[in-house]
Amino acid sequence: MKKYPFLTVCILLVAAISPTGRSVAKTAQWSAGTAFPVQRGRFEFGLFQPATYGLSESLELSTHLLPNIFMPNMGIKWSHGSTGPYHWATRHSIYYPTRLLNLVAKEGIGGLISPEFTMPDMIAVHNELLVTRVWDPRFMTTAKLGITLALGSGDLDPRSTIDLPLIFPRLSVFYHTYSIRTGLNIQGRVFFRWHYQLNSDIFLIPEAEEDFAFDQTAFLLWRKNARFQSGFGCKLTYAEYPFGTQWHLIPMLDTQWAFQIIK
Amino acid sequence: MVFKNYRFTLFVCMLLCMICMHCEPWVEEFEETEDAILFTASQRLAPPSSVSTMTVMDWNIRFGAGRIPWFGDSCGDRVILTEEEVLSNLQLIADKINEIQPDIILLNEVDIESKRSAYIDEMQWLLDHTHFNYGAYASVWHVQFIPSDGLGRMNMGNAILSRWPITEAIRIPLPPRGDQDELTKYFYLRRNILKVKIDLPNVSDFYVVGVHTSAFSRDETRKKHIDLFKAELDALDEAGAWFVAGGDLNTVPPGAERRYFCVENLCPGEDPDEKEGCDFTKEETWLQGLYDTYQSALPLDEYLANEEMYFTNTPDWGGYWQKKLDYLFTNNQWVADSDSTHQEAVECSDHAPISVQWEVPQ
Repeated sequence: MKKYPFLTVCILLVAAISPTGRSVAKTAQWSAGTAFPVQRGRFEFGLFQPATYGLSESLELSTHLLPNIFMPNMGIKWSHGSTGPYHWATRHSIYYPTRLLNLVAKEGIGGLISPEFTMPDMIAVHNELLVTRVWDPRFMTTAKLGITLALGSGDLDPRSTIDLPLIFPRLSVFYHTYSIRTGLNIQGRVFFRWHYQLNSDIFLIPEAEEDFAFDQTAFLLWRKNARFQSGFGCKLTYAEYPFGTQWHLIPMLDTQWAFQIIK
Repeated sequence: MVFKNYRFTLFVCMLLCMICMHCEPWVEEFEETEDAILFTASQRLAPPSSVSTMTVMDWNIRFGAGRIPWFGDSCGDRVILTEEEVLSNLQLIADKINEIQPDIILLNEVDIESKRSAYIDEMQWLLDHTHFNYGAYASVWHVQFIPSDGLGRMNMGNAILSRWPITEAIRIPLPPRGDQDELTKYFYLRRNILKVKIDLPNVSDFYVVGVHTSAFSRDETRKKHIDLFKAELDALDEAGAWFVAGGDLNTVPPGAERRYFCVENLCPGEDPDEKEGCDFTKEETWLQGLYDTYQSALPLDEYLANEEMYFTNTPDWGGYWQKKLDYLFTNNQWVADSDSTHQEAVECSDHAPISVQWEVPQ
């Protein structure tokens, strides 16, 4: 898989394709991970999921609310309609991590980066294509493929990396200009109000020595109604780090709320 | 009914697989005695098949940091060293070892997978750049990520390298510091005794025992470590085994003229009353038991006759060696007057190596 990223992407895209699909609404509630933007005027937010707002039938605005204080970030999901059973969208996001990274480049507890290093101004722009296929009302798959480009005002010292799961592959782009991210999201209903989500992400950083990372999330959600859902699960990560490769299993818990701000 | 839903079954299977995947603990706590990690040189050299004496060396190599002003043990501001810096310091250490040609070496502060030392496996590197064939390693500080000062991943430990095969290697845990809060203690060092059995020609029960006792504790943790170290040696002696043992005991010898270094080792802005690892005034008798029971590589009277000649440590980068912290003991005999304190190795570490010749029991 590591050696054949293009093949991986093809397999993921093919997985979302079938001639027996049928058309569904172009917007959705609890749309995270799919090509559907949230309904117009609907605001969803959670403890760890980004806050999203439906600007129109085809545009969704999103941001991680709390990290905004130290890491301004903004994203937009743009629905491009349907082709047969396939629903297409692109997601574009931008973030500026410099302030947050300099905050943790400190002496003492909380120092994730050595105070020897000062992080320069830098931004990352991520552009992603999403294709969702609804197989039946209880099951849908979404394939995704994106590229992240990083721009910085100075060279980063390679010793300043944070060699932690989730963080290392996501910040690696700043040391190597660009990275490719692809994956597959599967979600559906189990029974009654219980839903599941499986989400995989593959990170490819072609310019890096540590050029591969993989996350797999499994999440079980209890969806009370259109305004509240809560769930638990775990994330399995595998990544190449400067010290070698390592697996991690991280427990996860999230609760989300939603409001219809504009009817 | 639920399990008829194959997609959900797939989900459950994936969840179970994920939970069953092997994951390392965040901090290795080492609560029980366990096997140490064994290493072998990439290319092995034939060891001597019979020996009447052999050279034993002991060295705290300061994780290949040489004399770089590292923040944790000197008044420096460096945390993460470059690969070039570490390799250059390791080369100095290997050159010294190759010059002395010990048959066995006891090492302290060896990094095998630490961010601060550029993730260089110093055990393997030293085995591959010296004449040693075999090594045993016991982690003292094994944490996946230390969220302080940018330290990140850490794996530092005690080690023993040998020309002859190591047939048994055990890591014996020592108690943690008693003067730290629980959070600091969780991420802090787990000191240990590394006990290895070496297949020495014509000697059936020969052990090498290494230790690195608590450096900065202000309670009696260090004394407990020294007492447990001696108890381990007593047990070997009672069982009729031969041993050489030593390491950085982090205290000065009985009768040492100077026992208080807190003023001269003070970093700017530090309070001498808060400074750790510099006041040995209450430790006058802590090593007496070892000196009374076993043969020291450097007899105490020789040391006391000319202390400065045998100092092995200084955190004062501008000054010279300041105190003796490193020791070697045996329950057999050292070759008379064969000991050396290699104070000329000033660029290699904040500790000077010591070496001595051991009479192999016939």
